[in-house]
Amino acid sequence: MLLELNNIFKWVNQGGKRIYLLSDINLKVEEGEFISIMGPSGSGKSTLLNVIGMLDGFQEGEYNFLGESVHSMKEKNRSKLYKEYIGFVFQAYHLIDELTVYENIETPLLYKNVKSSERKALVADMLDRFNMVGKKDLFPSQLSGGQQQLVGVARALIAKPKLILADEPTGNLNSKQSEEIMQLFKELNQEGVTIIQATHSETNAAYGSRVIHLLDGRRDQQ
Amino acid sequence: MIRNYIKIAWRNILANKLFTLLNIAGLAIGVCVCIILFSFVNKELSYDKMYSNSENIYRVNMETSEDYDFETWATMPNAVGPAMLKDIPQVKKMTRLIKDDFGATASLKIGEKNFTENGLYLADSTIFEMFDFKFISGTHESAFSKPKSIVISKSTKVRLFGEQDAMNQFITVNNRDTLQVAGVYADLPKNSVMDFNMVYNIMDSWMGTNVYWSNASYETYVQLQPNVNSAEVEKQASKLIDKYVDKEGQYFTKFFLQPLPKIHLYSADIREGYSTKLGNITTIKSLLFLSLLVLLIACINYMNLATANSQKRAKGIGINKVLGANRNQMLSLFYVETGIMVFLSIIIGYAVSFLALPLFKSITGNELGYSDLLATPILVGILLTWGVVTLVAGSYPAISMSGISPLVLVNKSKKKGSASEFVRKGLVVFQFAASIILIIAVTIILQQMAFIKNKNLGYDPNGIIAVSVKSAETEQQVASLIKSLERQVNVESVSAVQAMPGTNESGRSVYKLATDNTGLPIASCRTDGNIVNTLKLKVIAGNELPVTIAEGDSIIYTLVNEKVVSYLNYKTPEEAVGKIIHTELGSRALITGVVENFNFNSFKEDIGGYMYYKAISAPEGIRTLLVRYNSQNLSQFIGQLQQTFNETLPNTAFDYQFVDRHVAQLYASEEKTASTVTIFSGLAIFIACLGLFGLAAFTAEQRKKEIGVRKVLGATVTGITRLLSKDFLKLVLIAFVVAAPVAYWLMQKWLLDFAYRTEINWWVFVFAGLAAVLIALITVSFQAIKAAIANPVKSLRTE
Repeated sequence: MLLELNNIFKWVNQGGKRIYLLSDINLKVEEGEFISIMGPSGSGKSTLLNVIGMLDGFQEGEYNFLGESVHSMKEKNRSKLYKEYIGFVFQAYHLIDELTVYENIETPLLYKNVKSSERKALVADMLDRFNMVGKKDLFPSQLSGGQQQLVGVARALIAKPKLILADEPTGNLNSKQSEEIMQLFKELNQEGVTIIQATHSETNAAYGSRVIHLLDGRRDQQ
Repeated sequence: MIRNYIKIAWRNILANKLFTLLNIAGLAIGVCVCIILFSFVNKELSYDKMYSNSENIYRVNMETSEDYDFETWATMPNAVGPAMLKDIPQVKKMTRLIKDDFGATASLKIGEKNFTENGLYLADSTIFEMFDFKFISGTHESAFSKPKSIVISKSTKVRLFGEQDAMNQFITVNNRDTLQVAGVYADLPKNSVMDFNMVYNIMDSWMGTNVYWSNASYETYVQLQPNVNSAEVEKQASKLIDKYVDKEGQYFTKFFLQPLPKIHLYSADIREGYSTKLGNITTIKSLLFLSLLVLLIACINYMNLATANSQKRAKGIGINKVLGANRNQMLSLFYVETGIMVFLSIIIGYAVSFLALPLFKSITGNELGYSDLLATPILVGILLTWGVVTLVAGSYPAISMSGISPLVLVNKSKKKGSASEFVRKGLVVFQFAASIILIIAVTIILQQMAFIKNKNLGYDPNGIIAVSVKSAETEQQVASLIKSLERQVNVESVSAVQAMPGTNESGRSVYKLATDNTGLPIASCRTDGNIVNTLKLKVIAGNELPVTIAEGDSIIYTLVNEKVVSYLNYKTPEEAVGKIIHTELGSRALITGVVENFNFNSFKEDIGGYMYYKAISAPEGIRTLLVRYNSQNLSQFIGQLQQTFNETLPNTAFDYQFVDRHVAQLYASEEKTASTVTIFSGLAIFIACLGLFGLAAFTAEQRKKEIGVRKVLGATVTGITRLLSKDFLKLVLIAFVVAAPVAYWLMQKWLLDFAYRTEINWWVFVFAGLAAVLIALITVSFQAIKAAIANPVKSLRTE
């Protein structure tokens, strides 16, 4: 098993009242799964992804990742864990504007202290695979949305994560670009990468092997 | 990794052009100012450390008695040095030093040519060993081996003799002594208070041979044995007073030893030294303080602008963190960025400082060369500045921004940032408070300078030329010069005097009773019957001095000022007229008239007692002619004057001075302080404005959405401009409240230095406050208006 969430609660206090963002979430994810989280705006999709990605905390419940209990971990170890195993893809791409395509993809390796020669080889492979060799010296602003998201995916993949978390990865893309990205996810999944995506679109959700519905922070068992 | 940081930092610097420009401009100005001032301070501190005996050489100073207000003097009787050498075994060598003719300009004659000279000294021959003279011609042993020898510096040799050999040439000084050149020495270091151009043997003169304990005109330098306790020597020296001087003659009570390297900067409170190369530690300290303030304001700018920019940067930090960066790595990234920015600023500031040297000279009057900027301590200082400024300016942004959570990427972490906002506001208040203090200070300094300039001196120094006649060969020459000058059309009146006001008067005392031991120290000056006319003094009782005195008349006619009259307890000036005045002029001195008090010294000092006298046989000579003229064409008038002078006194150099310029000279250092502080304040305020401009831009950016909503709801451009400017004005007002009392206190203290001072007016504060508000408003409103007229559709569009 890759990860397991048991009775996760997360809330914020607003005007003296407790507003639940996540409420009693239970989820088991096996390696190699491709899960789509669906639900209307504000249902807690992003919050759940952030919790799984260890970017955000929660108040109650247990979270085990590869047998380690995330809920009792210190911040430092937690960030070590996600650095090692998780790649993120965002709706707004979130590329670093000041870096070229090549440098954006290379950045996670720098933070993992990978040697220069190895970095070169890995980035070159990735550029090759995504057919972006010709664009490697361009800056994000010089690319189309679809191309930017491709770089985003490549960057998420470069450190060879076990899990990719994608929050509305096609939210800013047109349908053709969306299809390309989803096709890519499917291929990656077949190669063994576990993927969890949050999406509004039934079409995109259909690429996954399992769909989880959220409503007001709860799993909606239809 | 570091290469990657540099790359990212560099691109960030390029990406935010406005911020980069504001930051680099501010820091470069700050750095430039600091480098120049550090160089200046470094040079000032290097004075007199270069002699091989620097550590063991001291100048003897003495504390005077109550009669002279316990002042410390650098000059003393010529007996002090020889006595110390004889009686105190720790004293190894000694030299006395006196400027020829007590500091008056000397007239030199070489062959047919006349020169004036301001650096002619008499000294004991030991001076050559004590101060490492390097002789180019002759040796220090042989320099004074023959009587009537003189040694001259290399540059003086060039000035007087050109390429010609100077050795064994004759120089006639003041038409009195003829001296033979016995050596030429390499010029003494520029950073030494020793400013002699030529030296002759004090033992050739009565000044060296006729040793006595009264007239205090001689500087005395001693070289102690190595590792001697100077305090012990001071004690022994002070004991010599009781040993050699009877109680009556003890107008000094104690001797001090002032280390040679301290003379340059620590002599402001010591009177009567001869060196023209004195600095002032207070000036150094205030310049240092001001330059650090400017640099600090520039650092604050950087902090403010960088954190203000954090909204924009937050995304990048979030991404890097998601991609695996930890806090330390982000910290390094920010420091690298700051480091690069500061490096660029330093390079630019350093380059500009070379170009700014002439400006520095014209503002402060201090000369610096390229070599001073390239001195090792400066280069080390620059490296240090780089490190310190990077750490200081980089600290706040780095620490506050490296803590940004990756959640900013998903809009989860709304950074309220109340703490950082508070700090930022505090920093702006600090900058503006400093600026307001400077504005107030400058206004009051300029006011005080104007006050002094416009204050009635009690005599009119404008339109008077002082012509030196002290080197005239005969009294007849002077008399005929006066006659021919009086015949000229442009000359209103001519008066022969011992000294122009406040220069070379004789120090005497006035006593209430002939038997008194203590009296009022006064300046006494021999003159003739024209003095009231020439100086435009105001006679309030009695008569002017007589124009002619009958042969055989032994009366000494005196003209005293009110100060003397009131000391002598006369109820009215009239009462004093015709009375005998007890002073060191004998029993035949009468008060002929009383003049209104006039300022012969600077306004820093209270008006002292003054006495003009005229007598057939006088102890002092006539040394100067004061010529009041009414010519518009000055250069022609001076040409005419010189021609007459040369015809009458063919063997004397024509040396003249404008009296009003001499008076202005008394305030030269305050003038320079004023212009320096003005410039610094301007720079500080300018840098603060750069920061405010950036902050306003940031605020407008941050509140873009709010402004958009307000506009959609119908807000006007003026309304929005007001909204955005209001916050900054509040900060300026707080700054004003902080600054006003501090400024008041500081300036009150500064003004205490002046005996005559302007009031601190309330309107100065109003003016400074309004100026600050206005400056802030202009700076801020530019951004506010820009934000207000922007199209709200753009700012409200979601991603």
